[in-house]
Amino acid sequence: MALPGLSLPGLGLHSSSTPVYGAGAPPPVEQAARKEDLEAQSEWRFEAAFGQPYSIKLLSGHAELFGVELAPGQTYSLAGCKGAIFTWQGCQLEISGEAESEYSAQETEYAVEWLSLHGMLETARDDAQVNGGPRVMVVGPENAGKSSLVRSLGTWAVKAGRTPTIINLDPKEGLLAPPASFTAVTVSSQVDVENGFGIAPISGPTVTPVKNPLIYSYPYSTPSEKPDVYKAVITRMALSVTNKMEEDPAAKHSGFIIDTPGSLNDPKSNYDCLNHVASEFSINLIITTGSEKLLNDLNRRFSAGRSAEDAISVLRLTKPGGAVERDQGYMRQLRVAQVRQYFFGSARESLNPHSHSISFSELSIYRAKAASDIEAGSSFRADDDDDYTPDMGTGTASASSTFEKVTPSVAMTGSLMAVKYCPGSSGEVMIRDSAVLGFLYVADIDESRKKVRFLAPHPQRWGDRALVWGSWPEAVPDLVT
Amino acid sequence: MSAKSPRGSLSGASDIASDFEESLRDLQRNDRFAIENLTNIARESTEYAQAISRVLENHIKTIAPARKLPALYVLDSIVKNVGTPYTVYLGRNLFGTFMEAYRLVDQGTRRALDALLKTWKEPVPGSLDPRPVFPPEAVQPIENAMIQFRTVTLQKQRQGQPPVMGYRNTPTPPQFNGQFAVPPQQHMYYGHGPQQPTPQQRPAQLHMYPQPTPTPQQYAAPPTPVQQAPVDVQLLKADISSLLGRLQGRFAVSPYDKEVQNQLNAVIQLQRAVDSGLVQDSQLHQVRDTVAGMASRYPPPTPQAQTPVPHWQPPTHLAHPQPAPTPQFQPTPTPQWQSSASFPQPHQSPQASTPFMQGPPPQAQPQPLFAPGALNGLQALLANGFKPSTPQMRTAAPALQNVSHKQLNTVQNNVAAAPPSNTADLLAALTKSGVLSGVPPAAAQPTLPQPSTPQAAPTSTASLLQSLSGILPPMSQRGTPTMAAAPMANGKPRIPFSTAALKQFRPELVRALYDEQPNQCSNCGRRFLATEEGRAKKNRHLDWHFRQNQRMADPSIGRGQHRNWYIDEMEWIQLNDFDPSTTTADAATAATEAKKQKGPQDQYVRAPAGITRNTCSICQEEMKSSYSEDLQDWVFGNGVVYNGKIAHATCVEEIKKATTVPSAGSKAMATALGGVYGGGQRQRSGTPESMLGKRKAEGALSGTGARMKMG
Repeated sequence: MALPGLSLPGLGLHSSSTPVYGAGAPPPVEQAARKEDLEAQSEWRFEAAFGQPYSIKLLSGHAELFGVELAPGQTYSLAGCKGAIFTWQGCQLEISGEAESEYSAQETEYAVEWLSLHGMLETARDDAQVNGGPRVMVVGPENAGKSSLVRSLGTWAVKAGRTPTIINLDPKEGLLAPPASFTAVTVSSQVDVENGFGIAPISGPTVTPVKNPLIYSYPYSTPSEKPDVYKAVITRMALSVTNKMEEDPAAKHSGFIIDTPGSLNDPKSNYDCLNHVASEFSINLIITTGSEKLLNDLNRRFSAGRSAEDAISVLRLTKPGGAVERDQGYMRQLRVAQVRQYFFGSARESLNPHSHSISFSELSIYRAKAASDIEAGSSFRADDDDDYTPDMGTGTASASSTFEKVTPSVAMTGSLMAVKYCPGSSGEVMIRDSAVLGFLYVADIDESRKKVRFLAPHPQRWGDRALVWGSWPEAVPDLVT
Repeated sequence: MSAKSPRGSLSGASDIASDFEESLRDLQRNDRFAIENLTNIARESTEYAQAISRVLENHIKTIAPARKLPALYVLDSIVKNVGTPYTVYLGRNLFGTFMEAYRLVDQGTRRALDALLKTWKEPVPGSLDPRPVFPPEAVQPIENAMIQFRTVTLQKQRQGQPPVMGYRNTPTPPQFNGQFAVPPQQHMYYGHGPQQPTPQQRPAQLHMYPQPTPTPQQYAAPPTPVQQAPVDVQLLKADISSLLGRLQGRFAVSPYDKEVQNQLNAVIQLQRAVDSGLVQDSQLHQVRDTVAGMASRYPPPTPQAQTPVPHWQPPTHLAHPQPAPTPQFQPTPTPQWQSSASFPQPHQSPQASTPFMQGPPPQAQPQPLFAPGALNGLQALLANGFKPSTPQMRTAAPALQNVSHKQLNTVQNNVAAAPPSNTADLLAALTKSGVLSGVPPAAAQPTLPQPSTPQAAPTSTASLLQSLSGILPPMSQRGTPTMAAAPMANGKPRIPFSTAALKQFRPELVRALYDEQPNQCSNCGRRFLATEEGRAKKNRHLDWHFRQNQRMADPSIGRGQHRNWYIDEMEWIQLNDFDPSTTTADAATAATEAKKQKGPQDQYVRAPAGITRNTCSICQEEMKSSYSEDLQDWVFGNGVVYNGKIAHATCVEEIKKATTVPSAGSKAMATALGGVYGGGQRQRSGTPESMLGKRKAEGALSGTGARMKMG
């Protein structure tokens, strides 16, 4: 299966390629592997491009990638990753492959703050009474290390024997799922160095224990694009998470950590969505990596003038020196990689997607209408590969009608659809709030024969369920040929 | 992590292993590049670690002495650079592998081996991991042997005698053929002082012992060599070494006796000549007669040793015409036996060393130390380590040499099923005692001699743990009481939510993440506490890795996988999140049981290693073990541990009911009958994999709307 213009290591189809070893990286022996000694509390920052093999091996000492400890002697393939290997005790790394930039850095005060924060959360967990452990929300601008912080805090908590729940509310980057989705997952087992939190359940063996996420879909790129949908899904999700906490005392005790998109702290909307998240999830600690202005705004909103038990602590962390700008091109590649990984797995856990050809009449596809009049979305639309065609029957629907049943059209080719748990005939609210069974890729639409060919992760059909099609994430034209 | 499972690789374990073997054979000298290369092969094929380890062990064993050192360096490089699972597999036979090589190589190589051994007791250089390369359980026996060996050598030198090295440098040790004289079980009983073999057991155990090279004349040989027409060189060598021992004993008593000294020197030279094979057949008779003559002048100190020959041919041996127990087979072995079992150089004349070891002259020696059979026992141990065991042996001692990983799992899981700390849980305690008693004690005892280590007399739990010595962290790491207590509970800093507290570096937080969990998985870097529970968890975790890797390596399983549908809200809310890598299926099922209401027929007991049949202690009917795909283990369906024995769960249920509600009996019986065959099937519903993985068709298709109503 050729992938014109795109070669992703470890994400190629296993059926066509030679056995992938070490996520596509050639054996390190062949490359000019170099050794790098890191002092205690320093880090190795790297920006590895997609398609460029880049691997790191821990030779001696201890090191971690966003809290996930590297096993000594294991080669980790980190192509397409922008990160930093941090060491508390000093270590020696063996690095092979080319990176766009790589250097060792000593300015790592952020790590001490992160660790102290972990200590605070542990204290809070120790003190947890009936109300449960700390409920943390991390806010801040884009590329300020929010997800890395969430990952570190989650991993350290797991290491300390907790089962924290990690919640991702950023539609631009999926967690255990493709983009345009929200994830809630209770992490009780080892997380993965290469794949973030690892992998959601598959039928085969896995490198790290599987994580069982609950997935919702939000087919827009930012919360402000469709705040009403965003808030509604958040409300539904908070309900599930709260229920889960009640069912599982250990999870409640460990609390949860919410990762948010950079666009959540939007002063123009008077922090409307942020406020909503904080109240729906009963947040009691807000971490920000942003500006002092944001801190002030948050403090004014959540701490000041509230009673002691009602107040939400707000802490501001230093932005890590290693947090780098991830440009639109990179983010796009990342999303494509996530979509690809959803269907084909990774190098070590390769998956076979299944093709389903279904006639138009059997399908209930709902289009999530884009709010083209919302200004906040415009900055992203400029970069969007806009497959959305306005003549698809947008019409002049009322503001309340967001999901609209459509017949399949060629415009859908290459895009992602969420299979909702609700039946195809459900009402709009149900479709909006329902959890996600899985995602489908529209491989081909044959309008003359009235058939849609889907790529599905699972061999089984999904039955009569509502499919939601949005303009986000952008279509991936060359997932299958 | 990424390099351990070549997905899609078509080569199986045998291919990889034979590739490895070929590369090994090319290793002529201490070539760093070649050794690194071999290490890389080993690293990239950890799923075939068992096969590779075996190949390596065999290679070290069979290769010419001159090339043993490079091969041992390969072993060293692999265990240091790759670590588990190689340390586990290679650790099992380490004593044999190392000592075999050690006694065959020259003096210079010995020094290199000494240095090598020294590094095995220490952590990997440059690593912050404080654990030694091999666990002390594996190295300690070698250490002990070396210490004894050095003591003997030193004392010999002090007395102006040629060092033992001189004539020890023989390609084949004299007693090597008769090595299976003493069954290793005798050694094993050591670990279980109270468990003496009953008369019924003993013959069976004697029969268990394979005789790899039974040469007829050895068994037909009359006690005195004179009656034998062709001179048996082995006999002669044995005679000489026995004579030598007596002479040395005499020499120790009267060191200034010139005659003894001369004769001693002569005999030593004679032994060298015979060992080197320089003596012609015709001369052998002469030599033999001389030896016999001298032997008569120096009668053996104890009646048992009067005939110089039979020490490698104990009367109880299978093929021996007159099976009659000798003192060696006393069910209660004496402490001396134990100490002699650890003797370093089995083929070295044991008599030579004893006087110096024990001080008193040989005449006063206690018999067991003198009994060469004891020494042979060690050799038998050594040699058994190299041999594929017979089925009988596997039944008796599956824990180490040829144990499959599954069997190992069984042992582990049996231990794991009942964490010792969880004493409050009555059921767990019941399971523990029952399961443990279901395992033959010998099965769990490592065949590596561990004569003087403190764990030499373990309880059955400890012995089970010991059998996993390769996986377990070293003794030195077994948590001190302060560490054993959950580190997060005590001594943890209390940090309030405040900006000021953020900037302060707290090393104790780093310690809690690293040092207080010293027990690291080399596959994924996960850490475990240095407590019993932590070790049990790590064992399960390593097992999990092993199973996953095994499945990934299986070409029929590795391909065609697909992602599962995500679970829905209700399922997620009620999902019991547990770590499949550290939770036993039993525990996980137990956790879900509360929600699922399982009947007695759904219970099961993991079959102890080697046990496939069992009689229900209540209904006296036979139970057969069946293989559970999901558990990857043999289980007794509808089984439960009752009063330390495995019984039908339904029978137990019935008994319980009978004591409370007398009328419920008939119904329980019906359930029991129905449950016997259904157990194996029903278990699957409760295992973690099916819960995490397969979704039922009806569940995916018939869902009618979101199940959770909006508030």
